[in-house]
Amino acid sequence: MLDLSLLVQYGPALLRGFGITILCWGAGCLIGMVLGFVLMLLRQLPVKPLRWVIRAYIEVIRGTPFLIQLFLLYSGGPSIGLRLEATTAGILGLGIYGSAYFAEIFRAGYQAVPKGQVEAALSLGMSYGSILRRVIVPAMLVSTIPAIVNMMAILTKETVVLSIITVPELMYEMQTMAAETFATFETILGMALFYWLLVEVVSRLGRRLEARVTRFLTHASPQGSSSETATARA
Amino acid sequence: MKFSVIIDAFPYLLGAAVTTIWVSLLGVLLGQVIGVAVCVARQSGGRAADMAGGVYVSFFRGVPLLIQLLLIYYMLPLIGIDVPPLVASIAALGLASGAYVSEIYRGALNAVPHGQSEAALALGFPGSSIWTRILLPQAFRISVPALVNELILLLKASSLISVVGVAELTRTSQTISASNYRPLEIYLAAGVIYLAINGALALFGTLVERRLQQA
Amino acid sequence: MTAVSQTATPTRITDQGDAVPMVSIRGVGKSFGTNEVLRDIDLTVNKSEVVCLIGPSGSGKSTLLRCINFLEVYDRGEIRIEGKLVGYSEDTPRRRLSNRDLRDLRRNVGMVFQQFNLWPHMTALENVAEALVQVRGMDKAAASAHARRMLDRVGLAAKADSYPARLSGGQQQRVAIARVIAMEPHLMLFDEPTSALDPELVGEVLQVMRDLAADGMTMVVVTHEMGFAANVADKVAFLDRGRIAAFGTPREVFHESAEPRVQQFLQTYHERNSF
Repeated sequence: MLDLSLLVQYGPALLRGFGITILCWGAGCLIGMVLGFVLMLLRQLPVKPLRWVIRAYIEVIRGTPFLIQLFLLYSGGPSIGLRLEATTAGILGLGIYGSAYFAEIFRAGYQAVPKGQVEAALSLGMSYGSILRRVIVPAMLVSTIPAIVNMMAILTKETVVLSIITVPELMYEMQTMAAETFATFETILGMALFYWLLVEVVSRLGRRLEARVTRFLTHASPQGSSSETATARA
Repeated sequence: MKFSVIIDAFPYLLGAAVTTIWVSLLGVLLGQVIGVAVCVARQSGGRAADMAGGVYVSFFRGVPLLIQLLLIYYMLPLIGIDVPPLVASIAALGLASGAYVSEIYRGALNAVPHGQSEAALALGFPGSSIWTRILLPQAFRISVPALVNELILLLKASSLISVVGVAELTRTSQTISASNYRPLEIYLAAGVIYLAINGALALFGTLVERRLQQA
Repeated sequence: MTAVSQTATPTRITDQGDAVPMVSIRGVGKSFGTNEVLRDIDLTVNKSEVVCLIGPSGSGKSTLLRCINFLEVYDRGEIRIEGKLVGYSEDTPRRRLSNRDLRDLRRNVGMVFQQFNLWPHMTALENVAEALVQVRGMDKAAASAHARRMLDRVGLAAKADSYPARLSGGQQQRVAIARVIAMEPHLMLFDEPTSALDPELVGEVLQVMRDLAADGMTMVVVTHEMGFAANVADKVAFLDRGRIAAFGTPREVFHESAEPRVQQFLQTYHERNSF
């Protein structure tokens, strides 16, 4: 049933696909986090229309299926002059999708910073920029890492949806392999096991990162992992 | 952008939306049953049951939903069950949801004060009654917000079953935009419909939460 | 008779010659919605004076203190530090000062908090040096040297490289004080500095505060430590329900006040603290 020579034959293609998966995931996470952080900061400004727009953006992205967002970018884009390649659309889609969730994660982290630490900095005459850099972000880091790792694991799983808009990532290549070899079930099972492993690895690494950061930043003993439900979804 | 296209397509989109809604509902229901069963089995079924349940939860939370869907779709015929894509989809959604629901219940059960089951034991309640009369009803109450959230998540996840050919909202949008070459308008309309349904669900969830606070 | 000790206030040079008081509070009021937490407060603090604000919980003492450096916004009246209006523009009435101007004002005022508020991801030394680098623009080496001297002044030179999590409450508060005095403020505000400390750690912090007073620092202290108020303060203000019910030297307020609320407060204090 399982012909291992197939793996040798399709190996390069699968590896290429995995490379695309990592690329989309990495770029998507980066865009999502940077954009999400910026949105969170902008939301702090006392400009009502701006806050409303950002809130609407977050609600729309969190309230519609990821696939629809991808279709809009890839298939709907040309209608407004946006002709994107599949991979670009995939990365952009992941980035935009992630940004809405990261914005909420950062918002929670920002509000959880103990007010007193900010007040101490204010009363010493520090500027907002300094306070943000030296007090707020370090404090946020510890509290948001579990949620950030969680989201990154979710984005790992979402990369497979990219195959639907023909992004040549791992699942796309595996489906090609399945179609050509007629070993559909085995291939899909293989995919399932592989992604299961991948997500588990990402979660474990995340938990270790969390423990490291907590120890490094607060120099108190870490109070046990808070990212146990790392394999949740958006 | 041609809005007339949306108006023409709307009846079909709404019809498909209905499919989306009740597929998601059935998926959530199935998820509830499976989730509660797995949770109870893990808590009171001994080590083997706990481990098996643990594997189930880990698998269905770690593997992407799309792959789970295809797995079930291609696996069922192999073991002799020939089902239409619709049934396979509901099964996949239910199994996936069940994994998360069992974790939700696990947390909720922890929140029920231990003393309550102890009191029941002392009064001589049989084990099954303690579950059905005391633990589960309270766990259910505590988990309602998370469960409404499940429904919303499932509704969004249902868009993936389009790949196996179920004529729900996403698939119908694809079909229509393939024939009228106006994907932007159609997908926007679909997006709005999803948003509306989720918005209504979120509102419903808030109302239910408030009701439960008062009770 | 009274449990509050009667040892004489150590002589200190209070610079009464200066025409401009350090802090001048006139007709200040503040409301949270319909709740008036401060009403018609008049208070003057001269250079090198130590003024203690005492009173029951909810009397507004912390709120008043926090209005001085505009961590709380006061609605009515004027607060001036060294003659400069706090929080609002001189020219346009009731127009808030820009953040930059507020910062300039705050550079010369230091605040010590009940919860210490040290930054947990920095060592004691880094905590003290941070503002020197960020606000004063000192280079890291000079800032560290200065910070070390400050820590030595509060008796914690040995703990310079320790993180707050490893320090006792009293040590953390002393580091917080060092952080403030490193900026060489003209005025220091203390918001219940010892309330969060275990009793045996209170003494070390009060000693540091005593030393600061002896060196001529202008201090406004919200405190429940009546001994400190009696021995170190030049003036004591008793707040009750948003008003200053009694003001004067410690002797005047503690022993000679006819205000029933003051006596009631001190009575409860004595009952709880003498055994």
